[in-house]
Amino acid sequence: MNTKIRLSLMALAAMALVVPPALSQEDPVTFISTQFNVVEEAERARAIVQAFGSGVEFVVSEEGPAIDLLRAEAQSGQGVQDVMGALHGTFPTLAGEDLLFDLTDLLADIEASADINDAYVELGRMGTEDFQYYVPWMQATLTMAANNEALQYLPEGADINALTWDQMAEWAQAMFDATGEAKMGLPVAGLIHRFMQGYMFPSFTGGMVTQFNSPEAAEMLAFLRDDLWPYVNPQSISYAFMNEPLLSGEVWVAFDHVARLKPAFDQAPEDFIAFPAPAGPAGRGFMPIVAGLGIPYTTGDVAAAEDLIRYMLSPEVQAQVLEQLGFYPVIGEVDVASLPAGAALQAAAVAAQSASEDGIPSLLPVGLGARGGEINEIYINTFTRVIIDGEDIQTVLDSEAERLQALLNETGASCWAPDPASEGPCQIATGGM
Amino acid sequence: MRRAKWTPYLLLVPSLFYLALFFLYPMTQAFGLAFSRETQTLSLRAEPVESAATTGALELQTEVVVLDRQQLDETLPNGGTRPSFWYLIQGTDLAGETVEGWASQRSIFIENRRTSETARVTGGEATREWTFEHVNRMLTDFRFSSAISTTLLLMVLIIPAQFVLAIIMALVLQSQVRGSSMFLYIYAIPLGISDLVAGILWFAIFTQRGFLNSLMVSAGLIDLPFIFIRAENISWMISIIVLAEIWRATSIVMIIVVSGLQAIPKDYLEAGEVFGASMWQRLRHIILPLLKPSLQVALILRTILAFQVFAVVIAITGGDILTVLSNETFRWYDPARFNNPSVAAVYAGFIMIVSLAISLFYMRAVRSQDEATKSAT
Repeated sequence: MNTKIRLSLMALAAMALVVPPALSQEDPVTFISTQFNVVEEAERARAIVQAFGSGVEFVVSEEGPAIDLLRAEAQSGQGVQDVMGALHGTFPTLAGEDLLFDLTDLLADIEASADINDAYVELGRMGTEDFQYYVPWMQATLTMAANNEALQYLPEGADINALTWDQMAEWAQAMFDATGEAKMGLPVAGLIHRFMQGYMFPSFTGGMVTQFNSPEAAEMLAFLRDDLWPYVNPQSISYAFMNEPLLSGEVWVAFDHVARLKPAFDQAPEDFIAFPAPAGPAGRGFMPIVAGLGIPYTTGDVAAAEDLIRYMLSPEVQAQVLEQLGFYPVIGEVDVASLPAGAALQAAAVAAQSASEDGIPSLLPVGLGARGGEINEIYINTFTRVIIDGEDIQTVLDSEAERLQALLNETGASCWAPDPASEGPCQIATGGM
Repeated sequence: MRRAKWTPYLLLVPSLFYLALFFLYPMTQAFGLAFSRETQTLSLRAEPVESAATTGALELQTEVVVLDRQQLDETLPNGGTRPSFWYLIQGTDLAGETVEGWASQRSIFIENRRTSETARVTGGEATREWTFEHVNRMLTDFRFSSAISTTLLLMVLIIPAQFVLAIIMALVLQSQVRGSSMFLYIYAIPLGISDLVAGILWFAIFTQRGFLNSLMVSAGLIDLPFIFIRAENISWMISIIVLAEIWRATSIVMIIVVSGLQAIPKDYLEAGEVFGASMWQRLRHIILPLLKPSLQVALILRTILAFQVFAVVIAITGGDILTVLSNETFRWYDPARFNNPSVAAVYAGFIMIVSLAISLFYMRAVRSQDEATKSAT
């Protein structure tokens, strides 16, 4: 009984987190964001957004309540929110329920003076040709970070900006042999699903979904279990943010989201270096994470909302967001030369990773709507069952593939990069069912 | 007379109202979530308006051919307009018949609103039907059995230890030795600390660079920090959780036991002393039997709380490798994870049924003995 009450209370509390905008202002422009939910981040983001003009409200909210809010506004016809900022994965739900304006004209207008990353513009169309659901806002990714102490154990002849996963395993083993401690760290209680989806699977199989239970995927899991995991700090199972174990010296080499590594680079830029994720037999899988800005059609002031988006896409604001919030620009005109030391290190690694010749950009899952979180659980389960519980690799891959295929069929999601485009629901090549 | 007859019921009304609002209503909601499923079908219209007669229905994900389209100007709540499209589509329904009719852009996915000739059904009217699908998903989830066994294991390890400790602590307080009232404050400290904070505190003690390892390394007992929190040996994690839970929640049992002790008439204990009963005999034959009603309350409370253990487990283990029932409930509920309140409701119902069954068992088991001792005295 109490559990249920607690759930309802939690839902209520979540709704309460959506701070109602101040009524005293004269019809302010309201920017609702699912990003920067941490208090200090929200403060910094608010300062940046409010520099646009005095009448701007910056409101942060969790994804679920934000979607509910826009839904409720559409039903009542009374809209307060003017601009919605969220990760790509939030927009399919909004698009599916037809809650957003088409921003094709605004985008063309912005592109007249700025060079926006084409792949992200394409993503913002959600698979359509003539409906721009969002304008790309900012991007992030996951990279590696290392303590300078670790560099002496780097395998001979290895280029840190073009490592392979085999070299990474050798490196981890060398650190273990020299110090007696497992010095590599993975965020198993954090973004381990991104590690599997965007890095391991693409690097070994070339795809995220279609090769899910292929022999290459089995090879990848065997590598992870036998060659890498023995030299990964066992306490990784409780790591959610890698900056803490990096700063404490518990681990020397770590993989995580740039924003989650940022505090380490801010506090001790002289101790750490950032570098691209290693490559596997198929290439260097990496995951760009893109956030976009949309306009709910219940907005009271389209022109003001469009102006705010133009402002957010200006080079100065994009540079401020990078420096203070750790999200990277989506336009080409940003000057990164004047960044603080730590941010510059990270920016260089992000640039090297996305520019790598063997790079396989792997997008966040597209088109799963409200069930977008479920696919992550499939990758987490795969990792847990094979690496931690020691279950048979092919058995795990086949049973999880079956669930993955069911999810794709039920949501009708077609394949997304790096898997080749599909007609209808994405199909696992080696027979998911 | 009439009035007196109704008074008890009137007095019950506030609590009944409370129960109905905060227990019955959420419970029926959860029951509905747990055993029903929403399916959507798209009703096709004879004309491009929502109110027109239906000409057929299509399932979600049906591929359709676009025969015709119409662009309307939809008036927005703020007075502006935007283009809104209706499509005349043709597809095969569940019965295998080809149906044709109008649908709005809200219900279909179309690559290009102005030129595409095919589309896919993505929305429609929701209908609910009864299903055991969510129960099946819970039962077939690979974490389900480990969540049960871990929860029960924690319960079996924590509760007996807590009761022994709580009775000893209560007797210390009751003994009136010098400074015993100070113990009350010391014992009560963990009561003021939230379970998440308690978990983080114990994590800070046992983590690789935590207090314990730093102490042992600096004392020269070990060369390298020992890693307690590791998947290869979960008994360490279980031990840390048990320690944290005992530290955190024993005092609540103690408070119940203290109040029970104070309700025991001094005469019985004095009579026991007169007849030469030792301290142990008085505990065994006078205090414990008379404490049974309080112990029953504490036992039920602790058992229900044991099924809700959550934050301590999350803080110490991360929640993925070692999991408990309430953590699974949250994993399914969390919008960032499964986002499936239905399976979460099944878990919640499961926890409720198990706690209810155990509480009933306690009430029967402890009451019968209690009554037996009453009739004996």
